[in-house]
Amino acid sequence: MVGFVAGVLDATVRAGTPLLLAALGELISERGGVLNLGVEGMMLVGALAGYMAALITGSPWIGLAVGILAGAVLSLIHAVLCITLKADQVISGVTLTLLGTGLTTFFGQSSLLIPDRYRYSSWVSASIDGFSTVTIPVVGDALAGLPVVGPALFDNTPVEYLAIAAVPLVSYLLFRSNLGLELIAVGDDPEAADTMGVPVFRLRYLAVIVGGGFAGAAGAYFSLAFPQGWSTGMTAGVGWIAVALVIFAQWRPWRALVGAYLFGGVDAFVLRSQAISFSVGPDVPLAEVINPVAALLTNSQVMAAYPYLATLVVLVIATERSLTEQVGAPSALLENYSRELD
Amino acid sequence: MSVAGVEIDVSAREEVPAWLGYATPLFTVLAALAVGGIALFALGIDPVVAYERMFVETLLDPFERTRVLIRGVPLVLTGLAVYVPLRAGLWNIGAEGQLYLGAVAGTWVGLNVSASAPVVVPLALLGGAVAGGLWGLVPGYLRARRGVNEIIATLMLTFVGIEVTNYLVSGPMSGTGNVAVTSELPAAARLPDVIAVVRTVLPGASLPFFEPLHAGVLIAVAAAVAVRVLVTRTRFGYEVIVTGSNPEAARQAGIDTAWIYVAVLALGGALAGLAGAVEIAGEQGRLQAEFSPGYGFTAIPIALLGRRGAGRVGLAGLFFALLFVGGSGMEFAFDVPAEITEVIQALVVLFLITAEFFKRYRVEVRLPGRTRRAGAAGEGE
Repeated sequence: MVGFVAGVLDATVRAGTPLLLAALGELISERGGVLNLGVEGMMLVGALAGYMAALITGSPWIGLAVGILAGAVLSLIHAVLCITLKADQVISGVTLTLLGTGLTTFFGQSSLLIPDRYRYSSWVSASIDGFSTVTIPVVGDALAGLPVVGPALFDNTPVEYLAIAAVPLVSYLLFRSNLGLELIAVGDDPEAADTMGVPVFRLRYLAVIVGGGFAGAAGAYFSLAFPQGWSTGMTAGVGWIAVALVIFAQWRPWRALVGAYLFGGVDAFVLRSQAISFSVGPDVPLAEVINPVAALLTNSQVMAAYPYLATLVVLVIATERSLTEQVGAPSALLENYSRELD
Repeated sequence: MSVAGVEIDVSAREEVPAWLGYATPLFTVLAALAVGGIALFALGIDPVVAYERMFVETLLDPFERTRVLIRGVPLVLTGLAVYVPLRAGLWNIGAEGQLYLGAVAGTWVGLNVSASAPVVVPLALLGGAVAGGLWGLVPGYLRARRGVNEIIATLMLTFVGIEVTNYLVSGPMSGTGNVAVTSELPAAARLPDVIAVVRTVLPGASLPFFEPLHAGVLIAVAAAVAVRVLVTRTRFGYEVIVTGSNPEAARQAGIDTAWIYVAVLALGGALAGLAGAVEIAGEQGRLQAEFSPGYGFTAIPIALLGRRGAGRVGLAGLFFALLFVGGSGMEFAFDVPAEITEVIQALVVLFLITAEFFKRYRVEVRLPGRTRRAGAAGEGE
């Protein structure tokens, strides 16, 4: 049981990290009033571009940087379309996911840019040395050896630590800095913000591009840290869950952290719990009802739907109480702003 | 606005010039093909030869031509599933999930109701439409009564629907063996082959298609016609359009917009559910996990391209189907991934929404050092 829990915790951190990075990016973008449904595409582009750069240069750090850049470049298209050209945010985002999926599948199966010194026939068959796990100096080995929580907390790649470190940073910038408060104002009421002299368009661009960079980093986590490598569609819908997670977290970075590991935990548990079954003895009242229901509810595929259902419930509650201000939903989300054109 | 000395003036157009209306679709497709050509060129493939294989040969070959129609069926039906709510100003991002549940219900009826084909097939299609409709009704209700954003709600329910399907095909509905797939549908539960029927009725008729073409094609055409009539010829359609263009004014005019919201999302869900049932009963013959290559998501750009009418949704669906089928042919011929078609589809939409801007606004660019033309827009800066 201890081994099982340790395994689930370790897998939780691995599943939660890309989710956290992508959700932080989406959160920044949405706080500025721009919904980005292209996260999944940006993650895939970040994963493949980062992987290519890491193989060519031999450095996972350069790979991570290129992955971030690639996500940011794709999100720049979203920014131009939605902010400057006033295109529909839903259409643009969904299309960019389509574009990112298509581009990465297309080039990922090719041998384009693979250096001659390697004999790989395509990026799918290539392999690299990505990020390896690091431990804290001196006390690291002892901490990593702690029972149950040791491997999950103290034996990770640098990206996992960076993702956690990004939470207080984003939280501080968003709620304590001028820039962040201006961004929130832009997401809530762009017209009023504009009147107050806040550069609405520039801040929205910044939020969308930084958000895309986070999505790129989340994708690069897949190809460079865990599981490492490139396979078609390897982000497996994490970008969509990230969109859900932002609502679940009510647009707050710390809650995104909790939510990411919660959702990641469900994911990890689902992967490892196939052998576990819950049942009560036949003498317990209503056993013939409880057992099949419990079997259904703990079925791994049914459990995989829980994050989406949880998000839907949070969304309903948040809207129901009309507490949008307390909940943190940007009131001008999905509303493109134009100054004098319309 | 001025960037690096270049002055850019943007002003709203009073009316769209006629030539722009015609040039836009042409421009977007050509631009998408040109940029897609760069990707092909990067892999050392002559784009002209590749596109000839993709479009010309696909349309000349009777087998592939039929494949375009078959692929077009779920694309047109899900395209309509997004189109109907869009006319009321709502985004149905969840056609994919509704499609899955429709396929589940249709397959269940096909496997469990033993009767003759004229009974089972309509029952299966009806079951699919009802299941998909219920899956659309939930976000419709949440939107109408509780103001819950339908974009996120339909999206979340999509993933729930896919997971439910995964559970069902690998558990309660699983056929023999461990793979996540149901048993084969009995012949009575399959859609009939249109070509075979025509051959029996008119022996010796020369047909432009010779491959089996299931009756789903007729269902898709009928659905497009029905949606067109509903939107343009009925009171309900009128109320949908008024709600879509200005919900506040619609309420003032006494239109029950809450009812419209519920109705369009339920109807959209029913169309997507029908698509799922038709795809299984007509094409795939059994339900397996992840059976859809994202029809319900591709439906979103299709509905955007065709948002001015159900007939255009049909054309856009066929165009995307042509890209899919042509892409597979090209993959076979040149050993390049067929996903170049996804890239081209995405580029068509991206160029289209770019062009929309230039249709709505007049943009004037003045290079530095030039004197202003008299009467140029943007005097009052």
